[in-house]
Amino acid sequence: MKKFLALLLAVIMVLTMAVSAIAEEELLQITIFDEAANYHGIQTGWFAQVVKERFNIELNIIAPQVAGNSVFATRAAEGYLGDILIMDKASFADAIAAGLVKDISDALPGMEHLQPFMVQINSYNKDFGEGVYYGIPAEMTDTSPVTLTAELVGSQPQLRWDLYQAVGAPEIADIDAFLDVLAQIHAIHPANEAGDPAYPFTLWPDWDNNDNMSGPANVVQLTTWYGQKLKNSAMLMPDNTFAKITDREVAYYKIVKMLNKAFQMGLVDPESFEQGWNEVCAKISNGQADVIWYNWEIGFWNSQERLNNGTAFQFIPVGDQVYYCDADPFYGSARVWGVGNGIDEETYERVIAFLDWYASPEALVFQHCGIEGLTYTVNAEGKYDVYMDNALMDNLPVPAPYEGNYQDGFNAVNQWLCASICTNPITGETYDMKFWASYIAKNMTQMKSEWMARFDAQNAVDWMKKNGKLLASPSVSFSPASDDNDHALIRSEINTSLCKYTWQMIAAPDDATFEALWDEMVAELEGLGYDDLFEYDCEKWQPEVDMKIEAAAAAAQ
Amino acid sequence: MELNSSPKKQASYASLRNINPRKLRSYKEFLLILPFLILVALFSYFPLFGWIYAFHDYKPPFPITNDTWVGLKWFITIFDNPVRLKNVIRVLRNTFIMSGISLLFSWFPMVFAVFLNEIRCKPFRKFVQTVTTLPNFISWVLVYAIAFSLFSTNGAVNSVLQQIGATTEAIPFLTQTDGIWFKMWLWLTWKNAGWAAIMYLAAISGIDEQMIEAAKVDGATRMQIIWHITIPSLLPTYFVIVMLNLANFLSNGMEQYYVFQNAFTQDYVEVLDLYVYNMSMSGTGMYPLATVVSILKSLVSVVLLFVTNTASKLIRGEGFI
Repeated sequence: MKKFLALLLAVIMVLTMAVSAIAEEELLQITIFDEAANYHGIQTGWFAQVVKERFNIELNIIAPQVAGNSVFATRAAEGYLGDILIMDKASFADAIAAGLVKDISDALPGMEHLQPFMVQINSYNKDFGEGVYYGIPAEMTDTSPVTLTAELVGSQPQLRWDLYQAVGAPEIADIDAFLDVLAQIHAIHPANEAGDPAYPFTLWPDWDNNDNMSGPANVVQLTTWYGQKLKNSAMLMPDNTFAKITDREVAYYKIVKMLNKAFQMGLVDPESFEQGWNEVCAKISNGQADVIWYNWEIGFWNSQERLNNGTAFQFIPVGDQVYYCDADPFYGSARVWGVGNGIDEETYERVIAFLDWYASPEALVFQHCGIEGLTYTVNAEGKYDVYMDNALMDNLPVPAPYEGNYQDGFNAVNQWLCASICTNPITGETYDMKFWASYIAKNMTQMKSEWMARFDAQNAVDWMKKNGKLLASPSVSFSPASDDNDHALIRSEINTSLCKYTWQMIAAPDDATFEALWDEMVAELEGLGYDDLFEYDCEKWQPEVDMKIEAAAAAAQ
Repeated sequence: MELNSSPKKQASYASLRNINPRKLRSYKEFLLILPFLILVALFSYFPLFGWIYAFHDYKPPFPITNDTWVGLKWFITIFDNPVRLKNVIRVLRNTFIMSGISLLFSWFPMVFAVFLNEIRCKPFRKFVQTVTTLPNFISWVLVYAIAFSLFSTNGAVNSVLQQIGATTEAIPFLTQTDGIWFKMWLWLTWKNAGWAAIMYLAAISGIDEQMIEAAKVDGATRMQIIWHITIPSLLPTYFVIVMLNLANFLSNGMEQYYVFQNAFTQDYVEVLDLYVYNMSMSGTGMYPLATVVSILKSLVSVVLLFVTNTASKLIRGEGFI
């Protein structure tokens, strides 16, 4: 009896294996080496269903941001990074040199949805040789290199409209006046409704040294308020020259000084030095932060209800500031898409078909607008109306035929071929719902009209343009080289030291300590080789600056 | 016929019969340990091939070739910049202090195990042991989450202190540097003591019951039994563990210090492992330098192991290897 049972089980096992092997032959798994993804593993949920029913493929996402950077080294040593590659331009260039990227020039003419973007694709690939195509820039737009579609720039001071009104909505001339206003706001709003302490500034050190910028993200994202943009360790000034951040005249010092002044006035959350972004994000949603600056941060507070009752964040200009921002990423963002060298023929065909679809209006609606009947509805004119705009935030269940919840099944590739500000040919409006006529009508709240009357402009960018306070940097097709090991070492040491001293300076109890720490920091940075690194970075980014000057001149003509 | 063959042949048969079975047996026994030798070779010796990266200018995705050979460049790099050297010395100081404190208090799990063993109420003893062992399975990231909710400036402890009027200003427990090394040791002990005690509890259960009963008959008190029987019986285990820890003097792991480091505590908690991580693994991936440090650490560990073994032979009359 036992023998029979064992035999039976063995037969069942072999059969199931055979059946599943047959099923797997039909379903193809595509590996995406994805430096943009925050999720490592196989795409699940509604987006997986969308892809599977069209191509019968499943997406296996390899995410170095989750699995660690060593996954790049090991997969490169293996000789195959993945079927689809989404990488930083610098490491993509290295991957091309190491023979890990396939020339897709044979397939490109057949990708009909990418044809409108051939200017950008040609421009990226022009240095690889005649007729050779390795990459497709990520997040291209169909506008122009000098257009700025946004309502807000990347970073600017934003205050709660109700609190700003409550302190008399004064004109703010400079940093000192700004801090005075914040002090008044803090006095009338020391805690949120639940009684948790609220502060004008609540900072987070776990984003230090991000986005190719040395130093705390909370400092270097604010230097753009004075038109200065950090390129690795070199500060790009409004006149297109580079300056050292160790110079007291440069905005790095100004911003650290401002945060320290705020700290001395009790306007900085004392938890700023020990918390991470997740805690800060929760605090913004709870109303424990009175100042925000990133354009996307409003997503954590400005709900429809708060726009209606006037408690939402709005841009409040500071008189002496000029805001730096990047124009629409016409030539694409800092990342690029490619196909792994050594991919087999059948997979290659299906990957190309998938990539072509990924740039199609149907796919872009899924990527940028969501699901019909959940995040938008189609109105009588054939345009889209915003529907449940809390679908992502509250992870709502998705409508049939899809299963699961919206956020769980959200596109985990987290990178696009075409940006959300491209025009959707179906509606004639952008994919980005902020520019839909229906959305704008819905947002003409009393607060919005008050703001427009007060500042005599349609929105923040409009105000900056009208008043000559905008420094828009044109989009260019530029790929920086990756660091050699010698400079990578100096850079990591300098980054560590710079962040350590900067945070200590922000928390300095008095000006004398602040100045002493600044001098100590400059001495240490110079000892570690800052001057050498500065030269290296200037050389690295100068070609981009030249291209931007040229693009701006061409647009002006 | 064959039995009556020449004496010479007989002798050779005898030798076959006498030697071969023994040799055969030793071959068989060798086969028994062969899998383990292969495992050791595969997982302990083969990875040493990776040391080659310390001598190359390796940068992924490019493979190492003859052109990337740089000799001892990365070894020299550590010492050729005065600021860097100052940092390395500071990091070594922290490493020695943290390991030193751990070593100084290494008797703690043993004493904990002894006292745990003295608890008469069995359910309570099991409860204490489970509760103290559990933190070992919590990752350091979660430990910091606990520390943050308890000790942050708006955390539970500060709220309580302010409500009962003990302080007016919040105490920045996580960023102040007073007694930071001792605090780090406390967190480590909170997490590890229960787990480390398991080894001693096993050793205690191996102590001959007759000795304890004889002592009881002779009228020994509980403290006397602990002092004269339990502790001496545990000392060999204790020494082996101390020696092994000593060999790992330079590696105190990076996770704990990584989660607890911030701009203020960094100067005091950045130990060697964390320094290597901060310098080489965050961001660009400086593999050669990380390899150099791990080579130096291995060499120091081997030297320390031999030194302590010799010291053990001198002091206790027996080594532990």
